[in-house]
Amino acid sequence: MKSERTVLVRINPIRCRGHAICSLLFSEGIELDQWGYGRVAEETAEGRRSIRRAYRAAAACPNGAVEVVQLGPSGEQQPPGKPPLHVLREQ
Amino acid sequence: MARKLETALLAPGEPILVVNASESEPASRKDATLCEHRPHLVLDGAAMAAAIIGSTEVVIYLHHGSIDVYGALQRALAERRAAQLAEPVWRIVMGPDRYVAGEASAIANRLEGGEALPSFSPHPMAFKGPSGRPTVVNNCETLAQLALLVRMGVVAWRNGGTPSSPGPQLLTLVGAVAESGIVVEVVGSATIGQVLGHVGVSAPPAAVLVGGYAGTWLTGDVAWCTPLNRGALECVGADPGCGLLGVLPRGACGLSETARLVSYLAGESAGQCGPCAHGLPALAARMEAIARGSLRHRSLVRLRSLGDAVFGSGACAHPDGVVRLIRSALEVFDEELHHHHHRRCSGSSNPPTFPVPLPRRRS
Repeated sequence: MKSERTVLVRINPIRCRGHAICSLLFSEGIELDQWGYGRVAEETAEGRRSIRRAYRAAAACPNGAVEVVQLGPSGEQQPPGKPPLHVLREQ
Repeated sequence: MARKLETALLAPGEPILVVNASESEPASRKDATLCEHRPHLVLDGAAMAAAIIGSTEVVIYLHHGSIDVYGALQRALAERRAAQLAEPVWRIVMGPDRYVAGEASAIANRLEGGEALPSFSPHPMAFKGPSGRPTVVNNCETLAQLALLVRMGVVAWRNGGTPSSPGPQLLTLVGAVAESGIVVEVVGSATIGQVLGHVGVSAPPAAVLVGGYAGTWLTGDVAWCTPLNRGALECVGADPGCGLLGVLPRGACGLSETARLVSYLAGESAGQCGPCAHGLPALAARMEAIARGSLRHRSLVRLRSLGDAVFGSGACAHPDGVVRLIRSALEVFDEELHHHHHRRCSGSSNPPTFPVPLPRRRS
């Protein structure tokens, strides 16, 4: 199913305090600006590996600044919830 | 506005309608003038919008300092009560006198009893505001336009403007005009030059600041023949913004003016988002350096890259506006930049053109 393979990643700039953990865990999607705050480089993440890393980054942020939202079949945003289990289970 | 109303209609919960009469732009006077002289037009529009989305409560949001506006609205509300109109419940809420406190999400936070600071939300507020209810925040001029549309009829109202900016527009004119701070209404299509011609500016000025202090500079010649509507302004890279036109006279230094505006705006940052809190003071310091004449090529490069880093990084559009102002200044005042490179400034002996409030005390 396509819907499970694309997620939207965003950073709440008010919550971000520049811990930079997200960019370590999800380096392909989040880069750091010159002050060390996270900035979304790639708005969507595709593929299981990438999506898993995005969810990890969101879970690791001490301030909960990183949000990962699933996209529906036609690109609409699904209500936030737990990440799909199969994404987390696979190593 | 139609999009906000539609979103609120489709969203779950009873919507709140907010009339934004907090005019945060220090030089803008259009909202205050409208509320003081035509309060019923604003209130009629608000009542109509509230009826459309089925909300029984309308909040009017003001800054603490707008005492005259408060008085005028109180009088108008008393008149409406006396006339016993079937109307929503009106509530006036005051917020602090700071620039970002007039931003829509900041107002919604204030209504919830929080601080009047912008917030970050993935949902449009018209769908779900901080209170959980749909929150529709409209500027008082927008609501007055709705009332005008209903009074005049669609065709007559449309003819009061242009296709991309229908309806008559209110503008505040500041700087080198006959009476700085004057509010004018433009009916039909007109170029910036035609409007300025009516307030004692007979030839293209050095430059025109369009859309507010966090707006866009245009060279006088370009601005002079640009029609005042959204479409035409977008073509030259500007935006109507809060309807402010700042006229910079010949013989004034646009870089020094920009530096003063940037320092003011940097001080008005809420300091919530890192890039804005760190970036705006750095931008302001570099603009100051350029205005003073201690300009090196490297600092200019650095200024541009700082701007790129700050742009689009905040929860609200405050940093974006500042960067836009600086970018347009570097483009428009290219010649002046060259003078400053050789430590000459064409406006050093003149007093500043645009009024800027005193810096606030950091609490």
